[in-house]
Amino acid sequence: MEIYLPIAGMSINVFLILGVGGGVGFLSGLFGVGGGFLLTPLMMMIGIPPAVAAASDSNQIVAAASSGAFAHWRLGNVDFKMGLVILAGGILGGTIGVQLVKILRAMGNFEFVMTVTYVLMLGLVGGAMFVESWRTIRRSKGATAEAAMAAPVSESGLTRLFNKLPLKMDFHRSGLNTSAIFPFTIGTIVGIMAALLGVGGGFIMVPAMIYIIGMPTIAAIGTDLFQIVLTSANVTLQQAIVNQTVDLLLALVLLSGSTIGAQFGAVAGKRLKGEQIRILLAIIVLALTVKLFLDLVLTPSDLVSLAPAKGGGH
Amino acid sequence: MKRLLILSLVCCLICFWGASALAITPEAQPKVITSASKNVVEIGLSYSGDKIFFFGVNPVPGSDVVIKLTAEKEEVVKLSVKGKVGPLWMTVKQYEVTNSPFIYKLHTNKPLDQIISKETAQELELGYSAVRGKMKLHLIRGEAAPGDEETVWQGLLKIKERATLYNIVEDPARLEISEGKLFKHYFRFPPAATEGRYQVESFCFQKGQLVGYGKDIIEIKKVGLEHWLTQTSQNHPVLFGIMAVIIAVGAGLLVGVLFGKGGHH
Repeated sequence: MEIYLPIAGMSINVFLILGVGGGVGFLSGLFGVGGGFLLTPLMMMIGIPPAVAAASDSNQIVAAASSGAFAHWRLGNVDFKMGLVILAGGILGGTIGVQLVKILRAMGNFEFVMTVTYVLMLGLVGGAMFVESWRTIRRSKGATAEAAMAAPVSESGLTRLFNKLPLKMDFHRSGLNTSAIFPFTIGTIVGIMAALLGVGGGFIMVPAMIYIIGMPTIAAIGTDLFQIVLTSANVTLQQAIVNQTVDLLLALVLLSGSTIGAQFGAVAGKRLKGEQIRILLAIIVLALTVKLFLDLVLTPSDLVSLAPAKGGGH
Repeated sequence: MKRLLILSLVCCLICFWGASALAITPEAQPKVITSASKNVVEIGLSYSGDKIFFFGVNPVPGSDVVIKLTAEKEEVVKLSVKGKVGPLWMTVKQYEVTNSPFIYKLHTNKPLDQIISKETAQELELGYSAVRGKMKLHLIRGEAAPGDEETVWQGLLKIKERATLYNIVEDPARLEISEGKLFKHYFRFPPAATEGRYQVESFCFQKGQLVGYGKDIIEIKKVGLEHWLTQTSQNHPVLFGIMAVIIAVGAGLLVGVLFGKGGHH
């Protein structure tokens, strides 16, 4: 069954999009990550124009994160003050990012910059995850995993360094008194990435909140979801206005797929051990990295490509 | 003085006469009566291209038939050309291409070069070499190189052929002519053919001379949700963006309610 995507300007099998959405949803249910970083490159592989893929993915993230954010808000897990500081950075970063997309598209190198950024980011995340889970698996054979895992969570050097910066604020929910400069900066960086790559950025934001800012894990997750909804909403809105690349129909089909996939993923996740799940995710991420890296270095099959004049990815 | 004036006038007339005798004016030819199975194509939710049948009557029995599908307005495309920078492949220059058709499909009952001369083909824009001859390149970024025109043309052709926006079929089985008179064939409009007016021109040639011409107009338009989404995203982008966000939040919360606990983040 074909579906015509009005903004992408193409006809595609609806089950292919549901399948990609479902697959990524399954992985995100299994691993407890957003999955935006997998969704955009996969959509590009099935032929969706890169700019439309990223923008529609942001739209889909708004939906995927909102229910989680709402649930965490009701449980009192959202540090609104911290969320707003990060969000201020996220809005700034998202706005810069969307303009960057516009400039890069006009220059014809949006896909290039996107791919390079993905290779660096996925390579780093995938590599770190692989090493960490591999060590855990080897250690668990010696049965001392729990003790080793607990060690690095104490206050890090970075936390102390950022504490010395000016603009100190009280964050009651997180029980912190720290500078607003770092949360704002990380918000800006993740905001730029959200626009450029169509990701939520939770896989950077959550570790940064826990290990660098020093927030409790549950507050970090709740606050992250809160800021993702609003940062992605801002990116969606700006992409719609500046680049006209948001395909609402594509976003909704993806959402349907990923929602269903996530339910299965969550069930499957209960049957696997944490480190097994992480090493699996690491392998998937690294495989994707290699694929994207090869796209950059191998002679492309098409030397000439259409550069979009305005909107639509055509 | 007067004589000179008359002489120059005569000269002008001769020139004018000569020029118009050289140019082929298809509209002045006997009309080829044609009919299309439909004249409006609607892009709906499940659109995946369309197939339209065309019928026509050859004004001079036994003549050859060439049918061309193009879009009414010509497009300006920007093409990025990749090059190697260090170990990486990225866009190094861009060309703006004007005078190239958005869609170009040609059906003939036998190879085009057996029907008409190169000059006639060029003049009536029949065949790829005629399309290429008319295409104009303007460098907008990067440095031009000698082989660029060929690279850009081949690249454009590949993009267009892959989207089945360009193709040439020189096959009597595809363009059937019953008893030299009634011809029938079909054009497939690919999903990449967007909204707009398209023209199907039928040319009849007898021994290389144009002896008949006919034209059909096909309109492609988006309807229903597709039309509304496209229009809103282009004409009211702020409204469209706000709507996309609200619908996403609504859908997300609905999913949360349906599946009990929130989302999958």
